[in-house]
Amino acid sequence: MTAVTERPVTLRADLATLAERAVAARRLVVDMAASPRGCHLGGSLSVLDILLAALDRAAAGDGTEVVLSKGHAAAGLYAALHVSGVLPDDPAPRYGLAGEPYTGHPGPGVPGVRFPTGSLGHGVPYAAGWALARRIGGQGGLGIAVAGDGELQEGLVWETCQVAAARELGNLVLVVDVNGGQNDGLVADISPLPRLAERFAAFGFDVVEVDGHDLAALTEVFADDRRAERRPLAVLARTVKGKGVPAVEGRAGSHYVTIDAARAAKWKRAIR
Amino acid sequence: MTTVTDTPAAQSHPTTTVAGTRGTPAAPAPLSGRDAYRDELTRLAELDPSILCLEADLGGKGHPFQAAHPGRFFNLGIAEGAMVDMAAGLAAGGYRPFVSTFAPFAALRAAESLKLTLGYLNSGVTVVAPYAGVSGAWFGTTHHCLEDLAILRSIPGVTIAAPHGEAEMRAVVRAAARSGRPHYIRTGRNARYTSLDLPAGAELPDVNWEFPAGPDAVCLVSVGEEGTRLAVEARTLTPGTAHAHLVYADHEHLTRSAAELARRHSHFVVVEEHRGQGGVAEALALLLPRCEVTSVAADRRWPSHGGDHAEVMAALGLDLNAVLHALTRAGAPHSTNHSRSLACTS
Repeated sequence: MTAVTERPVTLRADLATLAERAVAARRLVVDMAASPRGCHLGGSLSVLDILLAALDRAAAGDGTEVVLSKGHAAAGLYAALHVSGVLPDDPAPRYGLAGEPYTGHPGPGVPGVRFPTGSLGHGVPYAAGWALARRIGGQGGLGIAVAGDGELQEGLVWETCQVAAARELGNLVLVVDVNGGQNDGLVADISPLPRLAERFAAFGFDVVEVDGHDLAALTEVFADDRRAERRPLAVLARTVKGKGVPAVEGRAGSHYVTIDAARAAKWKRAIR
Repeated sequence: MTTVTDTPAAQSHPTTTVAGTRGTPAAPAPLSGRDAYRDELTRLAELDPSILCLEADLGGKGHPFQAAHPGRFFNLGIAEGAMVDMAAGLAAGGYRPFVSTFAPFAALRAAESLKLTLGYLNSGVTVVAPYAGVSGAWFGTTHHCLEDLAILRSIPGVTIAAPHGEAEMRAVVRAAARSGRPHYIRTGRNARYTSLDLPAGAELPDVNWEFPAGPDAVCLVSVGEEGTRLAVEARTLTPGTAHAHLVYADHEHLTRSAAELARRHSHFVVVEEHRGQGGVAEALALLLPRCEVTSVAADRRWPSHGGDHAEVMAALGLDLNAVLHALTRAGAPHSTNHSRSLACTS
């Protein structure tokens, strides 16, 4: 391993800018829910603030890669990429249409997306491989995987955690969007995750718990250089499914939603 | 998952030689497919710093790559899916990963990762899979892999190789490293074979004509280590039979190979250590609709009894006797040794 030193990373956007992006992105997600295809609305809205903060870290240009492992939140990713300036065109009018790359789970045909995700669990090892590549080369930058709490039911996540800890991938950051929901209902009802922080700690991770809608807290987490770290970082980000749209906030039934244009307009006006 | 640790002799870098006849120097024994892979990759990595070697606990002990390039060798433990997916991340980061674990765990346990990494992402990752077919022998059904060609052949864009012998394995590994394209390379356990003569040049041919014959002759088509061994044995017992050896088994290579085969022959007997379903014979039958293609492959039974490699193959109907029968059905003349062979193996 190449010797490394810790140094601060300069983030690109101030908190007010990130907050404006969050509002704009949530409205885009609602637009995609109003498309003929509908979208995974609840998880796209819960994960948005995490994605915006992570993409801002990536914009620092140090080789940080953000992988949305919970790929069903593709609408949230497309919206976040667009408002962050990575994706030049508005994805909403093209979402789910023939000949367009904006599928219900993201693939590398979308600018800013390097790995295909949606088959749950794979984004974590993709990010771990990226982190290992940066470390082998003595380079900075994080491998950031953004997973869902339901996704933690996949064995591949824990298989990768075992490997990441053994390889001392301190530049791997696994963010869990803990919104409490999954496709068929509540995580707590289907396959609960008791003592989650302790689980990650037992795997050899550093663990922090944050409010997943607190942009200041999230940007602070992502600001660490971590090149000198030897323990991967798990970020348990407590979020609200459907965050920002009062009609669906906190409701497990918001997992996949298709709405008409009139309802979309009403919901978008309510987003602040 | 139950893992089997190989014998120390199998894990160590082989240095044995085949004793020569009295008064002649001993010829070096060929390396097994997996040892040839390890050695060739280690050599290639001396010139290419982007090459990485990843193992999943079933090949790392005494690995020459680890000794030569410790900073680029990663035994990730018993984590096949994570290994293949991490290889995708490493490839995206500018590296050329070679990953290896037993074929049943690579092709089946990590099948979805292969689909995404080798197929959809078209990553420059090479998967090297020993213990293909029933080379795991007495280790049992969990350690056999008669399905990998069917799985990998259905994933677009993956180059599939089943080399026979040390020279072919080395050539395939070099080609994979040179191309930077996704490869799946299947090999056996510890069997050592001398490759058929290879034409001069850097590229392996689509079809290596081990023994040519006239257009009316039945043509044996061999794939992999044991398929090629059986084909060579059968051909020598059946005068006038042609033998075409294939190294690559993906759709693109087989399409070109089929065209070349059809220019010379119309009756083929394909020998491969795989199930007939999804194997090379099935592919060639579709590519050669005006020809007669007979498959000699593992039957539909599960190999659930012990025995050495040849014994387990025979239990599945994959032996010299079966090849000779298939040749006879395909119209090849009987050999003088045929009845003796049948008597020996029935």
